[in-house]
Amino acid sequence: MRNKNSYIATAIVVTALVLLAPSLLPKFQLRMLTEIIILSLFAMTWKMLLNEGGLFSFGHAAYFGLGAYASVLGWLHIKGLSFLSGVLLGGLVAGLVGLILGAFLVRLSGTYFALLTLAFNQLIWAIVWKWRDVTGGDDGLGKFPKPDLLGISMKDPGNFYFVSFTIIALCLFLCWYFTKTPLGNVVMSIKSNEERAKFIGFNVNASKLVLLAMAGFFSGISGALYAQFQEFIATSTIDAGMSTNVLFMAFIGGTGYFWGPILGSGVFVYLSEYLSSFTDRWEFIFGLIFIVIVLFAPQGILGIVKQKK
Amino acid sequence: MESMLSTFIIQGLHGLAYGMLLFLVSAGLTLVFGMMGVLNIAHASFYMLGAYFSYQMLKMVGNFWVGLIVCPLAVGCLGILMERFLLRRVHAGGHVQEFVITFGILFVVNEAVKWIWGTEPLPVPIPAALSGSVIVVGSVYPAYRLFILFFSLAVLGFLAYILMKTRLGITVRAAVSDRDMVSALGTNTPFVFMLVMGIGSWLAGLAGVIAGPFISTYPGMALEILVDCFVVTVTGGLGSLLGAVVASFIIGQLSSFGILFIPRFAIVFAFLLMAIVLIIKPSGLFGEKA
Repeated sequence: MRNKNSYIATAIVVTALVLLAPSLLPKFQLRMLTEIIILSLFAMTWKMLLNEGGLFSFGHAAYFGLGAYASVLGWLHIKGLSFLSGVLLGGLVAGLVGLILGAFLVRLSGTYFALLTLAFNQLIWAIVWKWRDVTGGDDGLGKFPKPDLLGISMKDPGNFYFVSFTIIALCLFLCWYFTKTPLGNVVMSIKSNEERAKFIGFNVNASKLVLLAMAGFFSGISGALYAQFQEFIATSTIDAGMSTNVLFMAFIGGTGYFWGPILGSGVFVYLSEYLSSFTDRWEFIFGLIFIVIVLFAPQGILGIVKQKK
Repeated sequence: MESMLSTFIIQGLHGLAYGMLLFLVSAGLTLVFGMMGVLNIAHASFYMLGAYFSYQMLKMVGNFWVGLIVCPLAVGCLGILMERFLLRRVHAGGHVQEFVITFGILFVVNEAVKWIWGTEPLPVPIPAALSGSVIVVGSVYPAYRLFILFFSLAVLGFLAYILMKTRLGITVRAAVSDRDMVSALGTNTPFVFMLVMGIGSWLAGLAGVIAGPFISTYPGMALEILVDCFVVTVTGGLGSLLGAVVASFIIGQLSSFGILFIPRFAIVFAFLLMAIVLIIKPSGLFGEKA
């Protein structure tokens, strides 16, 4: 049993590290840390669908990319749209689409669910790709405004890191809190036994719909922040490649744990950065890691750590 | 008017040839799914391996027909190895793990292919005997595509014979409808799984070999056919061979005429069809369970 003091000590150390990161870390390390933080929310929403809802999404980039595109189009075309409103706009659009597509998705499960998410993802991707006048197609969209937040310049990497961290931390907390709510419990009961949950009298489809809309909303927020982080968006934020990246992040960290996707996005960002610096074929190593993880550590890195204890 | 008609017929034949190719790949995918419940994403990379093996064979032996026999067998063996040493080990962990591991295999094979053969498209010449063209209703049509058509029809007949008339086929069909019962009745289902996986991969390899001179051999070919295969298997009904035949025909025509009339949106139609089928009738045209 760990006592209260050690928790407080850990909390203080973590807070200090978070606050000092911009002044301690070199610029590119800070960039990577920011990317990890932003992607961790995206990975968390994927993990929520699988772990809480038992739903395997194979087209998760749709929401992430929609959030990115919606917010960027907002910043481009709505005069004076603030930083936070833009991010919120991205989340709301993705959440709304999550709700609409969710209405079709809730009736399916397993492979059929995964395939329909893939079909939706590909449809949205194709529209974004072909609708050049609005989305820029292959060329993507750049040079969009990066509004200040309460007079603080978002162009400074340190400020942007703090703001992203705060937004993401809040969203992650909400994701965690959801599992403690009665509705969250219903969703988890559906995963364990849908028939029984239905028999008790819960509206199974409505609960799944809420989960899907929520996952869409938070993915959209993550996508909007990612757009500001990159200062550029292209179809790569919404294609099947992004949908597989999130799968990798969640799996490598551990889909059964809250910290899994967060750790996973860290591993993903670092691995892709360092591997791609010395080989073009880094996806080969990604694939190998995938196979090894599924064979020997189906609960991810955290699964190994927890087993050792 | 006559030229219009012949354009239609030629375009229809193009669609038919591509559709038959799609059928060869999708048949394995749908059979494996029907039996094991696994959507084997790596299936597409077996198709690509078939094409690359055939290229290598052509370089070493110089004969297309040797490759047509040997390469699919090699790919089939790889499929058997994959089932025995990877899929079977995670079978108890559920479908998500099986799905994810086939995903990892797709990554590894795709990158390995780029490593070994480079990223440039490789030329595979059409075998000399089929390099000519045939006159079809007044238009010139490449003989090789007709070969694809008839060859695939022969394979389809062979498959139908095995499934409908042999003991193995009866076991496979029974296992598709109720795996546990077949196992309880004393069939060695893991062995049958391995065999079906082998046959499925063999089919994918076969499709890859004949696709080489038709679509050319390049690292993106796996992902390209994968998407169309998903559409075919979903539309036809996961697990249904008859469905795969019909849906391959539809998708082949759709892509052939789609490119002719609405090139910009041809890509959207396939996904739209897939989404609509999944929404209205998830079991597809001929699938039994959903």
